Amino acid sequence: MLAKYVARRFLASLVVVLGVTLITLVLMDRTRGTYVPGIDLNPALRPEDIARLRADLGLDRPFYIWYITWIWGVVHGDFGRSMIDGSTVMSHILDRLPNTLELTGTAILIGIIIAIPVGVIGALRHGSKADHTLTVVSVAGFAVPQFWMGLILILIFSVTLEQHGLPWLPSSGAYSAVNGGDFIDRVEHLILPATVLSFFYMSTWSRFIRSSMLEVLSQDYIRTARAKGMSERRVVYLHGLRNALIPLVTLIGLELPGLVSGGLVVEVVFGWPGIGKLAFERALQYDYTTVMGVTFFATMLVIAGNLLADLLYGVLDPRIRYS
Amino acid sequence: MIGPSRVAELDMPGAAIEGASTRPAQSYWNESWERLRANRIGMAAGILILIFALIAILAPVFSAVLTHFQPQTIDLSQTFSPPGGKHLLGTDELGRDTLTRLIWGARVTLGVALLTVAVSLTVGTAVGMMAGYYGGWLDDVLMRLVDTVLAIPAIFLFILMSILFRPTPVSLALIIASVGWGQVARLVRGEVLSVKQRDFILATRSIGARHLRLMLRHLLPNVLPVLIVAASLGVGQIILIEAALDFLGLGIQPPTPSWGNQLTNAESYFFHSIWLVNFPGLLIFVTVLASNVFGNAIRDAFDPRLK
Amino acid sequence: MSRDEVADDKGFEQFEKFLEAWSRRDFLKRAGAAGAYMAFLGGAVEFLDACAGGSPTTTTTAKKGGHVVEGNFSDIRTLNSMLSSDTASNQVIGLMFDGLLNYKANGDLIPALAADLPKQSADGLTYTFKLRPNLKFSDGQPITSDDVKFTYQLAYDPQYAEVSSPRRGDLSKYIASIDTPDPQTVVIKTTQVFAPFLASHGLYGILPKHVLGSLSAKAINTADFNTAPSVTSGAFKFVSWEKGQQVTMARNDNYWAGAPYLDQWIYKVLPDSVAVTNQLKTGEIDIGPVDPGQFDALKTTSTVAMREFGVPTFTFYAYQLDPSKPAGPLFQDKAVRQALLYALDRQSIVTAVFFGHGKVANSVEPPTSWAYKDKPQVLVNFNKAKAESLLDGAGWTKGADGIRAKNGTKLKFTMITNAGNKQRESMLTVMQQAWHDIGVDATPNLIQFPQLVSQIVSIRTFDLFLVGFNWSADPDVSPLYHSRNAVPGGFNGADFKNDQADTLLDQALNTLDRTKRKQLYGQFQDLMSDLQPSPVILFNNGIYGVNTRVQGTDFGPFNQFAQRPWNHGVWVTDGK
Repeated sequence: MLAKYVARRFLASLVVVLGVTLITLVLMDRTRGTYVPGIDLNPALRPEDIARLRADLGLDRPFYIWYITWIWGVVHGDFGRSMIDGSTVMSHILDRLPNTLELTGTAILIGIIIAIPVGVIGALRHGSKADHTLTVVSVAGFAVPQFWMGLILILIFSVTLEQHGLPWLPSSGAYSAVNGGDFIDRVEHLILPATVLSFFYMSTWSRFIRSSMLEVLSQDYIRTARAKGMSERRVVYLHGLRNALIPLVTLIGLELPGLVSGGLVVEVVFGWPGIGKLAFERALQYDYTTVMGVTFFATMLVIAGNLLADLLYGVLDPRIRYS
Repeated sequence: MIGPSRVAELDMPGAAIEGASTRPAQSYWNESWERLRANRIGMAAGILILIFALIAILAPVFSAVLTHFQPQTIDLSQTFSPPGGKHLLGTDELGRDTLTRLIWGARVTLGVALLTVAVSLTVGTAVGMMAGYYGGWLDDVLMRLVDTVLAIPAIFLFILMSILFRPTPVSLALIIASVGWGQVARLVRGEVLSVKQRDFILATRSIGARHLRLMLRHLLPNVLPVLIVAASLGVGQIILIEAALDFLGLGIQPPTPSWGNQLTNAESYFFHSIWLVNFPGLLIFVTVLASNVFGNAIRDAFDPRLK
Repeated sequence: MSRDEVADDKGFEQFEKFLEAWSRRDFLKRAGAAGAYMAFLGGAVEFLDACAGGSPTTTTTAKKGGHVVEGNFSDIRTLNSMLSSDTASNQVIGLMFDGLLNYKANGDLIPALAADLPKQSADGLTYTFKLRPNLKFSDGQPITSDDVKFTYQLAYDPQYAEVSSPRRGDLSKYIASIDTPDPQTVVIKTTQVFAPFLASHGLYGILPKHVLGSLSAKAINTADFNTAPSVTSGAFKFVSWEKGQQVTMARNDNYWAGAPYLDQWIYKVLPDSVAVTNQLKTGEIDIGPVDPGQFDALKTTSTVAMREFGVPTFTFYAYQLDPSKPAGPLFQDKAVRQALLYALDRQSIVTAVFFGHGKVANSVEPPTSWAYKDKPQVLVNFNKAKAESLLDGAGWTKGADGIRAKNGTKLKFTMITNAGNKQRESMLTVMQQAWHDIGVDATPNLIQFPQLVSQIVSIRTFDLFLVGFNWSADPDVSPLYHSRNAVPGGFNGADFKNDQADTLLDQALNTLDRTKRKQLYGQFQDLMSDLQPSPVILFNNGIYGVNTRVQGTDFGPFNQFAQRPWNHGVWVTDGK
C-alpha cells in the first residue's frame, strides 16, 4: 500500500521536476541576451572576442538543443559549468549547501525553542493580558521586513556594542576572515542571521502550539485525567503538551521544502555564503547554468521534502489513508 | 512565507464549518460578524487597513491639500531635511517630501497587494473548484500543474521573472500572483472535497442543476470564509514579499515610490537620516501586523472553536 | 634576495614613503613629483619628519607579521590572469601575480618583473625587455622569459586558440611574435605602431609554464590552477578560496621586491556598502571602498583614515545617434545635444548625489591623464537660459502641454541605466527634472546591468543611456568614440561616427611621441566639446577607508585595483 503510494508520488514528482526545469529554462532563455554573461563593461573587449566567448559558452545553440543537452547531463549527475567562472555547478552547490542548511536548521531550532514556551503559556493563560501580549509579540515578529530587522540588529549588536567596547557580534560571513572556522567562531557568526530568520518560524509555530494546546486541553481525556486527581502539571505536560506537539512535527516537516530557499534574503543581508545568495547573484549575472542547476536542486529538495512531510503526516495521524 | 496558508490547511476550518453548513447560511454569517465585532483589536486592525487604503486612493488629494508637494518633485537644496517645518516628515536624498512619497507609496504597495490577492483568489478558486468538483483526470492534471508551480522555490521564481519582465506595479502583482494562486487552489480544492459529499449537494445534482450553478451558488459560499481569511493574511504577506523584492533590487523601481523601495533606498543613509528608514519601515510593520491580526480575527470569528 | 641587496629599490621605497608623507600636506600637493624629488634629494626627509606634528605619525620601522583584511563587493571568478575580465578577479590576481610592468599612482609605467622599462626600436615595433636577475616563483623555480612568452601565447598564439581569453582580440591583432633569445630577455614585436601597447598589455600577471605548460589549450580553461594557483609570481601566494566568502593569501618569500611584511592578505566579500562602513568601524575589515554617501559616517571614526583621490572613472550619458533608431532623429542636431547639457546643473549633481566627491567633467579625458585638457574649446556650464534659446533656435517650440515639439514630433525619450546603483538612479531623476524645466519629456527606466550592457553593445534600441566607465592609463578613447566600434559588439553604443575624430584617434595611436599625442588628444577634446555625442557628467573620486593600524598603502588614481606595486610594503602597527 505504502509502496504503491510512494511509486505514484514519485512518478508524479518526475513530471513536476521536468515541468520545473522547463519553466526555469524558458525564463532563463530570455536572458541569453547578446553579450557575455558576467563580463563588466570592458573597453578592451572587441566584437570578435564577444562572439567567440559566446560561442565558447554555447550561447548560440537553439533552445531545445540546450535543454536536451542539459537534461542528458543532469541524468548523469553533471550540472555543467558556470558560465561566469568556469567552476562546476555541482562544486558551487556542494560548497554552499551546508552553509544554508546550517543557517535554516539553526533558525528552526531557535524557532522551536522559543515557540513552545510562548505557545504553552499563551494556552494556559488564554484570554489573559499575558496571552494577548504574547500573541501580539509573536504576530509582530512576523510583520517586520527581514532586511530591516537585519540592519537594526547589525547596528545594535555589531557596531554599537563594538564602539562602546563591549563584546560584539560579527555582521557578515559564516566565520572570521582570519583564523576563523572553529565552533565558537561559527556560532558567533550564526547568531544574528539565524535569529532574524527564526522570527518567521517563531511566530507561526507559537500561535499554532497555542491553538493546538487549547484544543487538546479541551478534550475529554484531559478532563478525565483531572477528575482522576492527576496533578495539573502532569496533565499539562504529560498529556497536553505531548499530544499538542505531534502536529508540530508535521509543521516542521512542512518547512523542509523551504529549507533551501527560505533564507535567501537573510543570506543576502548578512553575506551568508549560502545557496540562496548564490542563485540570486548568478541570476542577476545571467549565469544560465548555475541558476538552472541550483533551481533544479532546490526543486528536488522541495519535492522530496513534500513527500517526506506527507509520509510523516500519514504516519503520525493514523486517520489519514493514502487514497 | 508559505506559513499561514499551510497552517490554515492544517487547521482545516472546512471541517469546523462542516457542522455549520447544515444551518441556514444567513445566521452563520451574522454570527461570525457578531463575533468579529466583539473582537476589538481585530476590528481596530481592519479599520486601520481601511484607513490606509483610503489614504492611498485619495493620494492626489492629500498631496494637493495636506502636504502641497508632489512625490517626484526634487529640490537639491533641501536634501536630508529632518522632520518638522515645511516637510512634516523630512526629505530624502533628492529633497523630495517624505510624507508625500509615503502617501503615494501606499498606493503602490497596497495596490500591488490587493491586485495580487484578487488575481490569486480568482484564478486559484477557479482551478481549485474545478479540480475538486470534477475530480478524475482533470483533478490530476490541474493538481500536477499546481504542484509544479509550488515546487519551484517562490523566491527563485520571483527573481527570474523580475529580471525578465519590467517590474511595474501591475506586472509585479502578476508575478507574485503566479505563485499565490497555487496555494489558493489547493486550499479551495480541499474545501470542495470535504463539502462535495454533503447530502444537499447530491440532492441538488440529482434534480439536474447545472455544474456551474452548483459551483457558484452552493460550493462557493462554503469556500468563501477560507478565502476571506486567506485574503486578509495574504495582504500582509505580499507587502513583505514586495519589500523583499525591492531590497533585492527587483521590485518597484525608483523613482516610483513604494514603501519597500523607500526603506531599501534609505538604508545607506541610516547613519545621518534615520527617519528615512524608520517611517517606511514602521508603515510596513504596522500594516502587515494589522493584516495578520485582522486575518486571525476573521478566522477566529468564523470558527470560534479555535479561539 | 633581501631588501638591502637592491640599492635602487631601497631608494625608490624611501622616496615612495616620502611622497606619501609629502602628499598629506595639502599645501605641498601641487608641487608635483619633480619638486618632491628635488626636495627629497635635498635632504627634505629630515625636515618633513621634524614637521611631523599634526599629521599621522609614520614610524619608519616596519613591523613584520600580521594580516590585512580587504573588503569588496564581488567575489572573484578566476585566478588566471589571462582568463579574467572582472575587477574583483584582477584585484586579487594583482596581489599574487606580477607582470613585466606596473603603474605608478599617476599612471606612469614602472618596471616590475622587468628590470627596466623596455628598449624600443626606432620604428616603434619592437619592445625588448630584460628581466631582473634571480627572479623566482613562489615555489622557488626561476621566472624566465619562457614563462613570459607562455603567458602571452595563451592569448595570441593559434596553438592556444581554444583558451577562452578575453584578451585574444587585442593581443592577436597587435602581437606579431615573441622571442626569447635568453632566459632573461623577451623581445615582443608588434604588427603596427600601437601607442597604448605597454600600458594596456604590459601588466598581465606572469604564469608558470612549468605548471601549465603541459596542459592542452582546452584543459587550461578548466585547470585547477585557475581556482587554486599552486605557484605565484607576485607578493603573495595562494592559500585558499572559500567561495562566496574570501580569498586567503600568504606571504611569498621569493618575491623579487622582498618578502612582504604581512603574514596574510585576505580579500573578503561583503554584501553592500553599508556592510563596508559597518565593518570598517568594527575593524572586521581593514581596507574597503567607501560609498560617497557614507564618507561622513566614517570620517569621524578614529580608527579609520580616509583616502580620496581622482580616478579615471567617469559617469556619462550618450545620445542615440543612429538615425534609423526611434530616438535617433531627435539627437542629430548638435544644438539639441548641447542644449540638454547646458540645462544640467552638474555641480549640484556632484554635490547632492556624490556628496561632493567628484569633479564636474569638461572633457572626455580624465583629469588624472597626462592628455587631459582642462579648458576645451567649448566650455559648457550650467546655463538654463542658453539651453532654452538653443532649443528655440533649433525649431523646438513649447506646446500647450509644456513639452517642446518640432514638425509634430515631441522632444520625448526614455533614459536607461542599471538598477541597483543609487547614484545613477538619482542622476536620472535629476536629469528628468532639469529637462522637464526646459520643456523636454525624459523618463527614467532602470534595467538590470547585463541588459544595459546588451543594449549599449549590441541591441542599441535605447534612446539615451547613462553608465560609468573606467579608463586605463593610456589616454586612447577609441573604444567609445571610434566609428569602427560602432558595430554591434563594440562599445561605441551611441553610434558616433565622425571622420575627424577617427583621424585624430588613429594618428594618436600610431605615434609613440607623447608630445605629439598630447596635441592630438587636445584637438580631439576640443572637437568633442563642441559635438557632445556623449556628455560626461562627472569624474568620480576613489575613496578608501583604511584602518589606522595599516601602514604603507599608497592608493592613487592608477594604484587602486589590480595595479598596486606597493602591496608588499604594507604592514600593520600591532603586528596582528
